[in-house]
Amino acid sequence: MEFNRVVGTRRSIRFFKSWRPVERSKIQVMFEAANRASRSMNADYFRAIVVNRDDLDAETRDALRNPTTTADLDLAPTYIFWYIDLDYVAGAQDRLKELVDQHALPAAHGWSKAYVDDFLWPQVLEPISKDLNAVIFMGAVETGIAICNAINAAVDQGLGTCMHAFTANDTVKPLLGVPDTWLPVWLQLVGYPAEEPEAGGQRPRRPLSTLFFEGSCDHPWDEDPEVTEQLTREGMIQEPGPFPYRAQEVRMLSRMYGLPE
Amino acid sequence: MIDALDVGHHATTPPQPVGAAEGSDPADPFDGSPAVRRWLEQMGDRDPAEQASDVSLLRRFCAAELTTPDELVARCLRSTKSGDTAISAAGRRATDQAITAFAATEGLSGREAIVLGNRLRSFLIHNGIFLQGPASIL
Repeated sequence: MEFNRVVGTRRSIRFFKSWRPVERSKIQVMFEAANRASRSMNADYFRAIVVNRDDLDAETRDALRNPTTTADLDLAPTYIFWYIDLDYVAGAQDRLKELVDQHALPAAHGWSKAYVDDFLWPQVLEPISKDLNAVIFMGAVETGIAICNAINAAVDQGLGTCMHAFTANDTVKPLLGVPDTWLPVWLQLVGYPAEEPEAGGQRPRRPLSTLFFEGSCDHPWDEDPEVTEQLTREGMIQEPGPFPYRAQEVRMLSRMYGLPE
Repeated sequence: MIDALDVGHHATTPPQPVGAAEGSDPADPFDGSPAVRRWLEQMGDRDPAEQASDVSLLRRFCAAELTTPDELVARCLRSTKSGDTAISAAGRRATDQAITAFAATEGLSGREAIVLGNRLRSFLIHNGIFLQGPASIL
């Protein structure tokens, strides 16, 4: 799928083909996409554990359920538990110098190994590593970037996915052997969509002019209609929801799975 | 035992008044219940027989729990220190468990129990109580 269409086709899929497992190869593609994501300090901010629903015994599956996350876990065949590793700053000094060696951080932009060793590490990064609020803030931003790549990789492979609040950490942590330094971020459900991939049409978004500005906040972004038209042709902008049959689609899926209407 | 009418969504009961299956009764908590009205309005256009079946089911559940529809919703709520109304995790969990238990007392299991429980959860959901029941995937 072309990039613009991947971005435009992404939806939060909530009805999965519960009977169809996700190929391990497709999960690897998602992980590699996440691993290729932009990241400051070339640090490894995130960790993820993939678990297939049908590999869990009944007792474990029940332990993961709670009144707000039950149908989700039944329908999705694959769960990815995403975390921030709060120790991500460890090793940043060496990784930054590695980037200096690779000329990714060149002298042309002020970088040197001496700067990393003598100033950046002792005066900036090490202090940040001791400020939990800063660690969580940076970790959340950078982990989100990685997850975004994983989401788009899932869509590109015909998978559906949806991010969910992490509601059962007390159960998940001992069950999956999660280290104390890992902070839960999102539970990503993955599977083949039982609903149409369009899931009733593209979700409402506000105009670019309400979110983006040019030069200063006094000048909202002025859309070029030709670009908008191009993006429509290429699938980034798609037919808005709800499709006329969306309510019926959801009703029929709910009945198939015995869910509330 | 429950009759077939109340198991699925495809029953063929004749349309009945929303509030009471056997005529209006001023003492009937279903008559004029804001929670029941809200539920049915939010569900949208539906087969009147299905609607009557769902109300009948809720009526039986409330009878079993010795409560009214509006009190059932209130059980899942709590007041915060600042005076706001919030969802009570404990109340919601207890009500969810009561729903599951009710399906069992009706002699149901498997998909039938899931469907019945989720029909009751629908009442709470449309009254603002975020709640998920199991899906029937076997």
